[in-house]
Order: sequence, then structure tokens, then C-alpha cells
Amino acid sequence: MKAPGRWLADRWLTIGSPIALLVLWEWASATGILRAVFFPRPSTIAWHLRDLAADGTLWGHVATTLVRIAWSFSLAAVLGVAIGLAMGLWRRLREGLDPVFAVIYPIPSVLFLPLVSFLVPPGEIALVVTTAVTSFFLIAFTTTHGVTQIDRLVVEAAQHYGARGWRLFAAVLLPGALPFIFTGLRLGLGFALIVVVAVEIVSTSRGLGALLWLSWQVLKVEDMYATFFVIALLGALLSYGLVALRARLLPWVPDVGDR
Amino acid sequence: MALDRISLQVDAGEFLCIVGPSGSGKSTLLRVLAGLHRQSAGEVRIEADRPGTPLTAMVFQEHALLPWRTVRDNVTFGLENRGVARAEREARAREMLAMVGLARFARHYPHQLSGGMKQRVGIARALANDPEVLLMDEPLAALDAQTRTIMQEELLRIWATLGKTVVYVTHSLEEALLLGDRVVLLTARPGRVCQIYSVDLGRPRGLEVRGSPAYGALLETIWSRLREEVLRAIAADRGADSEPAGG
Repeated sequence: MKAPGRWLADRWLTIGSPIALLVLWEWASATGILRAVFFPRPSTIAWHLRDLAADGTLWGHVATTLVRIAWSFSLAAVLGVAIGLAMGLWRRLREGLDPVFAVIYPIPSVLFLPLVSFLVPPGEIALVVTTAVTSFFLIAFTTTHGVTQIDRLVVEAAQHYGARGWRLFAAVLLPGALPFIFTGLRLGLGFALIVVVAVEIVSTSRGLGALLWLSWQVLKVEDMYATFFVIALLGALLSYGLVALRARLLPWVPDVGDR
Repeated sequence: MALDRISLQVDAGEFLCIVGPSGSGKSTLLRVLAGLHRQSAGEVRIEADRPGTPLTAMVFQEHALLPWRTVRDNVTFGLENRGVARAEREARAREMLAMVGLARFARHYPHQLSGGMKQRVGIARALANDPEVLLMDEPLAALDAQTRTIMQEELLRIWATLGKTVVYVTHSLEEALLLGDRVVLLTARPGRVCQIYSVDLGRPRGLEVRGSPAYGALLETIWSRLREEVLRAIAADRGADSEPAGG
């Protein structure tokens, strides 16, 4: 265990830079360099955030968004890992699907909303499916790469020592791909948050994206920033959560295990 | 074609070393013996009197350990695949790790070990399977000179303890003379058996053997022959470079 002083010495810049930014902002808004109508002081925003939390408005929106992310991410993760593994294992499948994926993947996910609405019941289900699209591709891509990058010599050695079929998959190919699958999941989770907020802005009256947009439209700028802050915090928590989980689950990955 | 008309007989408990110029198919020969590579003609026969144990176990040059398994679980991997009971697997792993001097590192992951230690795990993994023939493909080539010397002595000790039949590929004549009962010299590509030398330097053998006149004489004899093959291999490579389409 490191002493707290040492810990702080290592990270003062990481911790200090956002604080410095907030102080600078506070000062600029207070002195009128920034127009307080559009850039209210962070302290004011904090009070508004407290009010939003206190009267319960915020929690309803947070819950709605989190439930949507949970569904979208689960959908993307299950399909993405399954199809990614299949593509990694079978070259033919990879060759067939690669060009299709390459074309669909760069399309901004929000644009799928109308298309998805024809295919599945519009509303909540369409929103969840739309949100899952980009995450799915990211997870499938990284999973495929995770399988194909496994050292051939290691696979050969495993076969030499009797690993065949299911054993080869479960004891060699899957663990070999796991670090990449985790990277895909982390990226996918981040994108699920980005896309769900975007879809909420264009299509519903609930969720953090809707709250943000609504606040802006009625010029409750402080509430808009407060929502902003909550979304950012949510993204950071989800991302670090997965990183922590990875360190627990994959102790054999050098750069994670040693930190 | 990598190999041609190879006919070799290895006695039970023998330490056989294979040397030859680069590209003479030393590794291919070992891979054929291991069943990793299918030969286009000919057969490999291994006499086995203990059913249930594998015929061969290979120690790979780049150790080829599974990074996601601890040292112990790497050693038990082959046993696990054959359905050996857990208690027996772990007892075997303990025994083998003690033999290679890694008893304290059973719970480590490969990335936490040095190159020499990883190769010890590779050796323990092969031995844990109790094969009829232990195959070693330049197992010490990637190590630094000091570690390699230590490992050579360790190998001699382990071999003396277990009495395994070993087929050992190396590019180092010195290593072959230190370790082997016989040294098989392969020709340049396609590899054929050029000459087989008996290494009558006595046992047990240690590094001090390198000071003996018999050692020097044998080294000189084999080297002069190997040198020809190496030069031929280099000339063949040059020829291939200047006439890529010719034959």
C-alpha cells in the first residue's frame, strides 16, 4: 500500500486539472468575462443540481436512462460477443460479414431510429434497439480481433497437450480473446450512453437526454448544466466500473495486474 | 521439401541431439515426431508400454505457455485435458515444479516470470505428462548465456533423475556435446541424416567436460562437417535469391 501523500504526488495533475477548470469558470462567470446567462457559475449549477435531486425529478430521469442503457448494452453485449466469437473462429463468416459491418458501422446510430421503428414496435423498444446498434458493432469487432490475434504458437501448444473442440474454445480461445472483449464492452458501454442521450433528445420526454433538451428549450440553463454534469459522471462511473471489474477478472493481463 | 530419407532410431532413455544448418528441417523433424506436422511419406513408431500416457510432449522454443493460467495450471493443462483427477494433477504439478525449482511460484502468472523461469515451466509442463519421449525444440536458444548454462546443468540433472528418452534440437554444437549421448548432423535443405556421432564423454557429465581433449577433438570433427553444410545452405540461399524463377 502506498502512503496517501505519495498517491497524491503521483496524481495531483489528474485531480487538480478539473478543479482548476471549475475555479477558473467560477471566477470568469462571477466577474462577467463569461455571460452568466449562458455560463452560470458552477456553484449556482451545484445548487440547482441539489434542487433537482431533492425534488426527485433527477432520479426519475436517471433511472429511466440507466434502465435503457442496461437493456441496450445487454442486447449489444450478448449479440456482439456471440457473433464476434463466431467471426473470429470461422474465417468464411468473417469474410462474409466484414464488408457489411464496415458499411453499417460508421452510420451515426441515431439515424437508425426511424428504420428501427418500422421493424420493431416504436417507443421504448425501438429506442433500446437503436441504442444497441453502434455498441453491438464495436463489441463484435473487438471480439473478432480478440480471437484472431491469439498467438498461433500458444494454440498449437494447447492442441499438442490435448485441447480439442469445446476444451480448446473454453480454455484457450475464449480466455485469449477476453482482454479484447473487455475493451469492446467498455467502448460499447460508453457508446450506449452517448447514443441513448442523443435518442432521448430527439424522441422522448423522459430520460437525461430529454431533461437536458427540455431545460435548454425553456432556458433553464443551470438545469441543463446540472444534467450535463450528471451524464458525464454516469459515463465515468460506468467506464471505471468496467475497468475495475476487468482488473478483478483478468489478473493475468500484465498492464492491469501490475497497477 | 524440408526433410528427405530420414531414418533414425532412438533408444529408450537416450538423450539424442539433432544439429544442422538453419533451414535443414530440425524443427520440422521434431514437429513430425510430435504429431504437429503431417509428413508426406514415412512413419514414426514409438514403443509405448504404458497406456494412457501421451507418446510425446514438446518443450517449445518460445515456451508457449498459456498466459491466462497460473504456473501450476499450465503444468496440469495436459493432465486436465486427459481427465486426470484433480488431486493427482496437483500432486504431479507440485512434484514437477519442485524438480525445476519453481515450487514457490505455482500461483504466479507467466508474465511475472523471467525467460528462464518460463522455460522451466515449459519443461515441467512436458514432464508432468510423463511422455514416452520428451521433445525439445531449441528450448534454451532464447535465453541469455548465463541462464542457458545454468539450465543445461539443470537439464542434465533432471534427465539423470527421470531417465526419459529425449530428442533435443539445438543449433549449438557445444550444447549437443554437453547433453547428448549421440549427435545427429543433418544436411542443408532438404535435411538428410549426414552423420551420427557417438558422444563418448562419460556420465555424469558437467561443464568441466569442455576442458577435456576428447571433447575438443569431437567438436572439431563435427564442426568441420557442419561448416560445409552451413556454407552449402548459405550458397543455396544466395542462388535462390539471384534466380527466383529458376530451379
